[in-house]
This record gives sequence, structure tokens and C-alpha cells, in this order.
Amino acid sequence: MSVIASPSDQPVGGGQAAAAPDGQPGGAPMPHGRRRTELLMLAFVVVVVIFAYANVGLGLNGKIPAGVFEYGIAFAVLVGAAHLAVRWLAPWADPLLLPLAALLNGLGIVMIYRLQESGRDGNAGFVITTMSTRTTAFQVAYSAAGIAAFVAVLAFVRQPRTLQRYTYTLGAVGLVLLALPAVLPASISEVPGTFAKIQISLGGFTVQPEEFAKLCLAVFFAGYLVAKRDVLALAGRRVLGIDLPRARDLGPVLIAWGVSLVVLIFEGDIGTSALFFGLFVVMMYIATQRSSWLIIGFLLFVFGAFVAGELFAHVRDRFLVWVHPFSYVHTIGFQTVQGLYGLGFGGVLGRGLGQGQPYLTPLVQSDFIITAFGEELGLTGLMALLLLYGLMVQRGLRAAIAVRDPFSKLLAGGLAFVVALQVFVIVGGATRLIPLTGITTPFLSQGGSSLISSWMLIALLMRISDTARRPAPQPIQDEGMTQVVRAG
Amino acid sequence: MNHALRRVSLICLVLFVLLLVNVNYVQGFEASSLANEPGNGRTFSAQFQFQRGSIVTADDKIIAYSKMNKAFSEYQRYYPAGKVYAPVTGYDSLFSQTGIELAENKELSGSDPALAVHNLIDLITGKPKKGATVQLTVNSVAQQAAYQALKAQGKQAGVVALNPRTGAVLAAASYPSFDPNLLATLDGTKLNKNDKRLLADPNQPLLNRALNVTFPPGSSFKVVTSSTEFTDTSATPSTEVYAPTQLKLPGVSQPLINFDGEACGDGSGRVPLITAFTQSCNTVFGNLGLQLGGHKLQRQANLFGFNKPNLTIPLPVAQSNFPLYTDPAQAAGGAIGQESDTVTPLQEAMVASAIANRGTLMKPYMVDKVTAPDLTTLSTTNATVLSHPVSATVADQVKQMMISVTQSPDGTAHLSAGLQASGGIVIAAKTGTAQNGTNNSGLDDAVFTCFAPASNPEIAVGVVVKGGGQGADAAAPIAVAIIRSYLAALGKS
Repeated sequence: MSVIASPSDQPVGGGQAAAAPDGQPGGAPMPHGRRRTELLMLAFVVVVVIFAYANVGLGLNGKIPAGVFEYGIAFAVLVGAAHLAVRWLAPWADPLLLPLAALLNGLGIVMIYRLQESGRDGNAGFVITTMSTRTTAFQVAYSAAGIAAFVAVLAFVRQPRTLQRYTYTLGAVGLVLLALPAVLPASISEVPGTFAKIQISLGGFTVQPEEFAKLCLAVFFAGYLVAKRDVLALAGRRVLGIDLPRARDLGPVLIAWGVSLVVLIFEGDIGTSALFFGLFVVMMYIATQRSSWLIIGFLLFVFGAFVAGELFAHVRDRFLVWVHPFSYVHTIGFQTVQGLYGLGFGGVLGRGLGQGQPYLTPLVQSDFIITAFGEELGLTGLMALLLLYGLMVQRGLRAAIAVRDPFSKLLAGGLAFVVALQVFVIVGGATRLIPLTGITTPFLSQGGSSLISSWMLIALLMRISDTARRPAPQPIQDEGMTQVVRAG
Repeated sequence: MNHALRRVSLICLVLFVLLLVNVNYVQGFEASSLANEPGNGRTFSAQFQFQRGSIVTADDKIIAYSKMNKAFSEYQRYYPAGKVYAPVTGYDSLFSQTGIELAENKELSGSDPALAVHNLIDLITGKPKKGATVQLTVNSVAQQAAYQALKAQGKQAGVVALNPRTGAVLAAASYPSFDPNLLATLDGTKLNKNDKRLLADPNQPLLNRALNVTFPPGSSFKVVTSSTEFTDTSATPSTEVYAPTQLKLPGVSQPLINFDGEACGDGSGRVPLITAFTQSCNTVFGNLGLQLGGHKLQRQANLFGFNKPNLTIPLPVAQSNFPLYTDPAQAAGGAIGQESDTVTPLQEAMVASAIANRGTLMKPYMVDKVTAPDLTTLSTTNATVLSHPVSATVADQVKQMMISVTQSPDGTAHLSAGLQASGGIVIAAKTGTAQNGTNNSGLDDAVFTCFAPASNPEIAVGVVVKGGGQGADAAAPIAVAIIRSYLAALGKS
């Protein structure tokens, strides 16, 4: 966990930084951009991931898997490319975010490889039927696409505020992406074996638009709330020490609540619904600084979830399994119970990569991948993973606090929070802290949409932190005479 | 907005702390209860990743051990004398366990808390984890003799031999038996096939007839009835009792008769109790049952171990029954081991061992000690008293009558368990021939309960042979064979 013990990086003052060339393409290393720290940590990440990959082979059949060097080099090239892009495009960006994302992504690939190999070539366990022999190759390709998207976002969004211009465009795109699976026929949009209509599957290629809707809506919320925050923050009545907003200002929050309920009802996706609503409420709170929004939002969500539980069997099932998982061990509780067995089986130190039985848990490569880590890396490994996420969120919030522009502040705060909330919802669901809702685990779960959108999210956070930490332009202190421009 | 952002940081911190606390709870505290959850496939298959402890007899014969099966890279269980010990060891299959394999699973698999320190040391020193060795009280000579005798007899039967002084189980055999190796295979398809075949076998080889099947005790129950009589009245073996050839029972048209309708004793209608016991007169003991009544009989039966649910030795034992007969005719039938009386062979051995041990019934047990892989003893079973069914005086009186059964020329077991048959060992015994089926149309079950040597009892045996006919003919030779072999091995015959 050398990432935790990284040197502190105070926002640099103008005086020292003045000597450094500012963000020239291919320029000399920035003494205070901490790119060298990032590179060192990335090297460490590559080593950890290669060791984990080798470990899977040793755990499965006692042999180091074929292609450990090829894959290692490929992974090193990918993260190296990301690093070079950051040097070029965002030299002042936070040095921790990229290594954190790379480590999570690399470990995700390793675990997907491990799950793919179970039961194949005489390995222990049985073949996970929802995975093919090419799943890992696809995941590597998605990672490359994710890093490409990461670079693209850094390249196209040179100033976070440029996004503000597209507030309503992105809002509309986000809503369309979110609502699209609901209006498409189930044959295209339903995830097989579930009630969730959350994907678009055409010609063997599947996209989960909600992953991208998340980013679009975060930008929209930030733009919208920055514009309206003064109105929303206007004091209404004060009841029991809580500032209640005026009734007419409740409009936006009710609309967001309505949309999230529509997602819940028509797409059967409680997790995504919670994610969007939580994102909106927290961004509303950041914008207005009024805790009443948090309370109102929380109560509305609990009420909505309760009503949904009363009305829809598949929502009620989740509650039942949460309360009494072992009563439904052969039916609706099977997955949760298998996940818990896996966690318990892993214990404190874990069975070791390739030596557990995560293949017993259905959909372990997506919703329940965290239990596979818990089983094979143990409580120790699972806590380390959670700390990686925690650190990622913390760096995002740090960027939000450091940046000056309110739009960027709001966007960074929202994006960082949505990572925290997403991790909480899926990890909490898989470990029975809260009812299970199937959403992806950022960077770890199998699947391209989640991976690519997560990389784009990291790119946005890094762009904002780059803006925050970039030294203010220095006045030119020319020794020569002041030029006087004379009119006409 | 920074104030709100800091608050949001706190919210995120709380979310992560909740997650961390929860995974600590699940993986740290809940892990062991999750592992013991029935149907946790992970725990089960993990057992085949390391060497399970062996099961050995009291005289150090290995009867179950684990060895690496290269084809599966897993440890497989082997049972060198499978059928002989099947009712004791049970089996350890991919899907389930029985017998000692189940009862002592924690020790054998090394998951017992007592082994935690050993496991930790092994983890640090890099030695593979290994289960503890379970040493049984079962004596290989007695067990072999028991199984061979049952096999020679060829009918469905169960036998248990106890050390009357300690309650240690010396033998527990069942016939027909099965080979646990068939179920220990690591090949799932093969296992399923073998399992199906054993389950479909009409002879039901998987049944443990020593401990888990009950039979009517027949006249062997007269040991209990006599004990009640001696305890609750001033009667002694020489007391003359009413001994009609036919006993009229209240409310029943058919009178109670002796075996084949014979007269009891000299046919005078009164015989000493010991004669009635020696000849096993139903009318005498039916009459005693009428006089004593259901309550007293049940109280005595309970003290001998009847009606006791959840007896574990540590294998679970089926309950032997002596219900409360409030109807006098039923009490009379119950007193001679008919009606709804049922016993396991273990119960028969317990009755004999209580008499042999001068009225003190020791709790039967099968595990002598558990030894860690480094040969340190983890636990030893101490003999404990289960109950005091009768006084020493009463026990000696009953013993006197039981000796008469084999030694007196008119005793029911004189030919089958007398000095000639036993090679000079004085056996104290009681035979039983239990009627069976609708209107007693089925073949009689043969029952035999005994201990030897009568002067200084070393072994008590209970035998039941289903459909064996007369107890003396079918069951006694099995008990005699065990006693002879065991005492020979002890060097006491």
C-alpha cells in the first residue's frame, strides 16, 4: 500500500513554480506536478498486477501462466501511455488518481482472468457459463478503450468550464441515455436472467448507457445548480432548526426523484436509481449548503423504496433476502448466500488467488466480483481495495475543495461522491450491509461501459485537479522598457 | 461551497467506515458460523485439500485414513476393512458424512478450536495442515469376530459389545454392511452411481443396525421386569411365583401362553422365579407385569436407558422405547418384551452391562482420545455414570438368574451358550424370541443379551437377528463368538 504513504502535495505557490515551463508539450518534468511520483507508483502498480497475474496461474495449476511477460508489457504500455498523456495534457493533475485507477483496473483484469480459467484446462472448479475464453481479452481491450477515452477527455476538455456550455445538451443526452433501455423492447434491453432493462444489446455487442448517463447528468446537475443555486438557497421557513426550502423550489428535486423512480419502475434497477438520486441530492446540498436537501432527499428515497417494495415483487425480494438470506438459500437468496459463504471462506487472510471457489457464486464476474476478492485475498485484501476506493474519492473531493471555479467544484464533488456511493451500494449489497442492487463495481467488474465511463470520470477529476493545482500565470517581469502603445 | 464539500467528505468517510466494519464482521466474526451453515459447498470441498486425521481402534489398527489421490489432487479417504467398521466409521464422501466421520469431523478435519494453535504453527512453519487422529474404544478383535459371526449367520442383524465397567464400546457391527470406500471416491459420477445402488439395495446395507434400528426385545426384557420385581417387592430368585400354563388377561379373549404353549416348570402352577427366568415363562412374567403395572415397569426401563432421546456416543443412537402401558393386558405384554417395546442392540448390551457392573450403568462411548498430529493428546473421554438402574443386591440376584439361563440344563441358552459352547467361560445371559408381523405371522426376531465372565465381567453383548427365530439359536452363537475372541485376546480365558 505504498500509495497511501505518498508524499503530500500541497498546491504549489507561484514563486517556485514560476521557473518551470508551464505545460509545454514534451517539456521538462514539472518539479511540483508530481509526475515522477505518479510514474513511480505506476511502476509499482504494474509490478503488483503482474505478480497477481502470475499468482493466479500458480494458484490454479502451479504454473506461471503463459504470456505473463506479454500481458505485463501490454499493461505497462497502456498505463505508460496514460501517464505520458497526463504529462502532456494535465501536468499539474493529482498524482494519485491515475495509479489508483490503474491498480483497480489491473486487479479487475487479473480476477476476471482467474474466473475465466476456473474449470478450464483441468483447473479446479467448473466453467462459469456466462464467461467465454475470450472474456479476459475483451476486458483488456475495454481497458485500452477506457484509457483512450481517458486521454480523449483530457485532450478535448482543456478547461473544465468548457463543459458548462453544454449543460442542457448533456442533460438531454443523459436523460435520453438513461431512458433509452426503458422504451426499447426487452429482447434488446433486458439483462438475461434478471428484471433489469438497463442495456442495449445489438449484434452481440452490449452497452449500458446508464454508465455514460451518469457522467452527462453530473455535468448537467453541476451547470444547472451553479446557475440556480442562489434561488434554491433562498431561505424558506425554519422548522426544528432546519431551513426548509420554498415549495416552488422543490420542483427540481421532485423531478430528479421522479426520474429516478421511473428508472426504478421501468428498468427494474434500484441501484442506478439510488445512484442518480443520491448524486443529485448531494450536488444540490453542495450548491446550496443547506442540509435540509439531504434530509428531504433521504426521506423521499426511503419513501420511494418502501412504496416500490410494496408494489413490485422483485424489489420486495431484495428486502426479504437482505433480512433473511438463509431462508431463501435455494431460491432468491442463492447468490447473496454464496457471496457470503465466499467471504467467510476467505476469512482474514484469504485462500489465495486461484485457490478459492468464487465460481460457486452466480455472476461473480460482475455484481459480486468484490466477494471473489474477499474470498481469495481475504479481509486484508478486501479492506485494501476499499481503501483504494476511499483514497480515490478523497483525492476527488480534495480537487473539488482546491479548485476555485464553482462549476468545477460542484462537478468534482459530485463525481467523487458518485464513486463513493456506487462502491457503497454494490459492495454493501454484496456483503449484506444493505439490500442487494445490481450495479457495477467501478474498474473491477467485467464489462466495457462501466470501465470506459470510470476512466472518463477519472479524467474529469484529473482535469479539475490540474486546474486547481496549476500555478497562477505570473506577470511577465521583463527587464526591458515598458512598451507603450500609442493610439493612432 | 467548501463547507458543504467537507461535510460530503465526512459522509463518504462514514460510508467507507460502514463498509469496512461490515466486511470485518462478515469475514472476521461471522466466518465460522457461515462455514458451519449446512449446504456451504466451499467448506465441504475444502476438506479434501488437506490430510484428514486417521481413525484407529483401541489396539491401534488404522480403520480410516486419507491419502493424496494424484488424479484429483485431493485427499481421498480409505477404509482398509470397510464393511467390518462401516457402522462405526461411517463414510466421508464429497457430499456428506456419517458415523465417526461426521461426529468427530471437527477433530478429524482440524477445525476444532483445540487445534487452532497447531494450525497456526503449521501455517508459520509452512507445514501442511493435518487433522487430528481419533482413537476409538472399539477393539479390532471383538469387531472382527462380531462382523464375521453376523456374516456367517447371514440375516439382517446388529450387535454391540460394551465394557460394563466403563461403558466403552468394544464392538458395533451391522449386517449386511457396505464398503465405505465406494462412497469415498472423489469421482462425483461414480459416487452418485454407488450411492444410488446402495440406496436401492433391498437389504438396506446403509442401515446401522447396531445403533440406529430398533427391534422388539422379546423375552430379553424379562431382565428389566425381574429387576423391577426385586426392587419393588421383597421377592428373590427363589420366591415361588404364580406360573400357570395359560394366563388370562383382563379384557383380552386370548390368554397369554408360554413358548409353544408349554407348561412352566413342573406344571404345578407355582415355580421359583429363577426357574421361570431360566425357562423364560411368559405367563409368570406376564403376571408380574399385571401386578407391577406400567408405571413401575417404565420407571425401571427408563433407568436402563429406554425412552432416552438424543443419546450420542458420539454417534446418535435411536431411542429404545417402553411406552407407558395403562391397560393391564398391555403391561403384561410389555413385561415380556412384546406390545410396543423396541430396543437397539446397544440397549440390549446396556441392560446386560448394568447388571454386570452391579447395578451401575455407564454411559456408552466410542471415542477414547483425540491426538494432534504432533501426538499430543487433545482430549480423552472419561467413563461417566449414566444411571443406577438397580442396587448391587438386585443386580446380583438378576445375575444369578442369568447364569442359570446358560448353566442350568433347562436354561434356554444352555446348549448355545453353556460351558461347552463357550469353551469354559461362564456367560450370564437372557434370550429373547420376539414375535413379529400381523398376528405374529412374521419370522421371530432373535435377541440375546449377556455378559462374561460372570464372576468378573469384561464384556457385555447385545445381539438382535431379524427373522432369526429363537434367540438361543440365532443370536447366542454370535455373542459367544465375540466373547470368546475378545477374552482370548485379553488373555483371560
